[in-house]
Amino acid sequence: MSSVVARNSRTLFPDIYNPQKQRRTSTFRKPLRQNICTGLLCAGFHRSFAQLFALLQRWEEAEAHPHKLETLQSFLARAETAERAGQYGEVYENHLCLARFFTESEDEWLKHHFFQLALQSARKLKIDSGKREAEANLHIGQIYFVKGQLELAQEHYEEFYHMTLGREWQDTSGRSHHECSCEELGRVYTLLAERLLQKQDCELSIKMLTKAYEMAKESGDSGPKGKAAYRLGLAYQSIGDHTTAKQFLGVYKDISTAREDMDNLGRAYGAIAKSLESSGKQTEAVQYLEKFAEISMSNKQDRNLEKAYTYLGSILNSRVQYDESYVYFKHAYEIACNMASVSRLQKAQVRVGTSHALSMLQAYYKHIEISRRHSIQKIIMWKEKRQDNFIEAM
Amino acid sequence: MSSTINPLANPKGVKTLCELCQKPAKLQCTNCRVTYYCNPDHQQTDWTSIHEKVCPLLVSIHSPPPLHTLQADRERHHRETLKKQEQLIEIAHLEAQKWVSKKSFHHAIPAALLFLRWAMRLYGSHPVKLVPAYLLLAQANIGLDSMSQAREYLTKAEWAVMNTPDCNPTVHHQLHRSLGRLHAATGKYSSALFHFSNDVYYASEVFGLDSIVTFGGYFLMAEVFLKQNKPDVTRSLYTEVACFWHTHLCKLMEGISQSGIQAEDCFGDAQCVEVDQMLRCILEFEEQYQKPRSDQSALLVHSLAMLWLLCNNYTKALEYGKKAEVLIQGSSEQNSMRESIQNLLHYAEKHLQ
Repeated sequence: MSSVVARNSRTLFPDIYNPQKQRRTSTFRKPLRQNICTGLLCAGFHRSFAQLFALLQRWEEAEAHPHKLETLQSFLARAETAERAGQYGEVYENHLCLARFFTESEDEWLKHHFFQLALQSARKLKIDSGKREAEANLHIGQIYFVKGQLELAQEHYEEFYHMTLGREWQDTSGRSHHECSCEELGRVYTLLAERLLQKQDCELSIKMLTKAYEMAKESGDSGPKGKAAYRLGLAYQSIGDHTTAKQFLGVYKDISTAREDMDNLGRAYGAIAKSLESSGKQTEAVQYLEKFAEISMSNKQDRNLEKAYTYLGSILNSRVQYDESYVYFKHAYEIACNMASVSRLQKAQVRVGTSHALSMLQAYYKHIEISRRHSIQKIIMWKEKRQDNFIEAM
Repeated sequence: MSSTINPLANPKGVKTLCELCQKPAKLQCTNCRVTYYCNPDHQQTDWTSIHEKVCPLLVSIHSPPPLHTLQADRERHHRETLKKQEQLIEIAHLEAQKWVSKKSFHHAIPAALLFLRWAMRLYGSHPVKLVPAYLLLAQANIGLDSMSQAREYLTKAEWAVMNTPDCNPTVHHQLHRSLGRLHAATGKYSSALFHFSNDVYYASEVFGLDSIVTFGGYFLMAEVFLKQNKPDVTRSLYTEVACFWHTHLCKLMEGISQSGIQAEDCFGDAQCVEVDQMLRCILEFEEQYQKPRSDQSALLVHSLAMLWLLCNNYTKALEYGKKAEVLIQGSSEQNSMRESIQNLLHYAEKHLQ
């Protein structure tokens, strides 16, 4: 009887003091974050625990993403083992993997945090003469760039630039690190310059743009170099220094011709013409504008063509060549009719009207002064039928 | 003080039991006349432990209520009795804690038992308020090496905690620490680690990652890892604990030197002894490790010196300070530590005169 009870007692009475079962039930009863933290501690990874705990304090919806927590646990544990063995390269790799793992927009702060950690561990690594530290600087710079904190991005990119100066490192796609650094720095400088321009600080913005131009030159890629030259030229124009502006715009024009980039070439001609006009050389300006118009016509770029014609017309207006300016304005008006913008159309209409009027003005006054029957008939005919006979034999 | 009683003389059904062992009682305390003992030894232990302080209170609790005609008066009397009972429980709790921290466990047990019995009478058998009593009893029993008793009390404590779903994390932390200690003492290291890790988790939630309690948990875990033969884990944990204590003590020292107050209130005697033991344990481990680091040893000795200075024991502080100075000559860096050791030596010498 007692033996039966003894045999069945294992199934009759629950085994409340079996530590394995106790631990298994507790994993279901406790929240996931607690299980992961205690898992890390039991395995001896107390630093990973401290880091994870600090992250969890800031991250409220951690429970909803179990796979993220598990990835964090495994990589942090691996990083700690590597750190204890002194292999900072491994630590760097693990932190980098974690940073790349968090791709969603709500996890941006986690990505940032792990890139920072990667930079710190890369700094401790002396063997590969700073290659990983440079890469870490690049990643952090990119994060700050995306966030909009341009000064910090600039700092990190400059460090990256200095580290890659003279070295032959390449990233996974085969592109040189140094080129990459030049490009990124160029972008940062341009954005900073734009910000300064908005604040009306022209001198500093010109300095920034010059730096951007230097970077573009160094990277060896002519496209960004041309664009940087163009922006510099425009900036110099805005402060009134047309000689330097012309210099840079000339560079831009040459690059665009070399690359057979018609769009940019047209813009180059337009900008050069503007600076020529402001410095008083109007004939040359007209020449350049005619070239601009030619290119825009051949490329079927209506907007640019309209701009070119309008500009030509206004220069000729200022030189009192009203007939020619009327012709150009009429062309511009015809193009504006086909475009969708009402304000442009209205402006074109005004210009056509004024230039036509100005061109007829002299003849009209002469006729009124003569005031013979012949001329008055002509004036009346014009008023009635809009027939322009003034320029016939008087 | 005591008078003999004959169990047979009690009214039918009334059994007078000894306070400590619950056997039939032969002696009665003459002051309060409601406490019984089976032999004079038990009475003496109980007297030194707790009875001396609560005897008059017990008298007033057990005295029959006076005849009040008004319901309000009767209620007032009832409330006052309740207050006295709570006071009794408080006194018993504090006394038990004091005995446990002084490590005299056989004195702690009567106090803790009184605490438990009165708390059960007042709050019922399962609520969370009984858990501190259970934990104290368990700790005392672990100290006296009666593991099965300790296990019994801890199981009851666990059951009480399980029955309260929204329990305070502090209670969880204390419970897991006691359970960890029990398992570590009985040699079940993986269970001990499980409980200690839960303890550290709860302690971090309540007190933060950088607190004395959390690092106390780390120290206990390090000991278990050492017994499991994982010295590298132990070393990294010990390094963390040592750094924390060093920073903490430096901060306290700065506070004293800046405000000029006496260093009396930083540590209680028991805490001082505990921290000293902990730091010396870490120092011993560091010295016996295969690749000893002299800057780590210097850090530990410096911490010991600061600790004894804060506990106003200037001779020991001077002794450790000089040792630290010798050790720091070996390492090239740590100029700030050198400076603070110098300051410490000056301070200690000044106070010894």
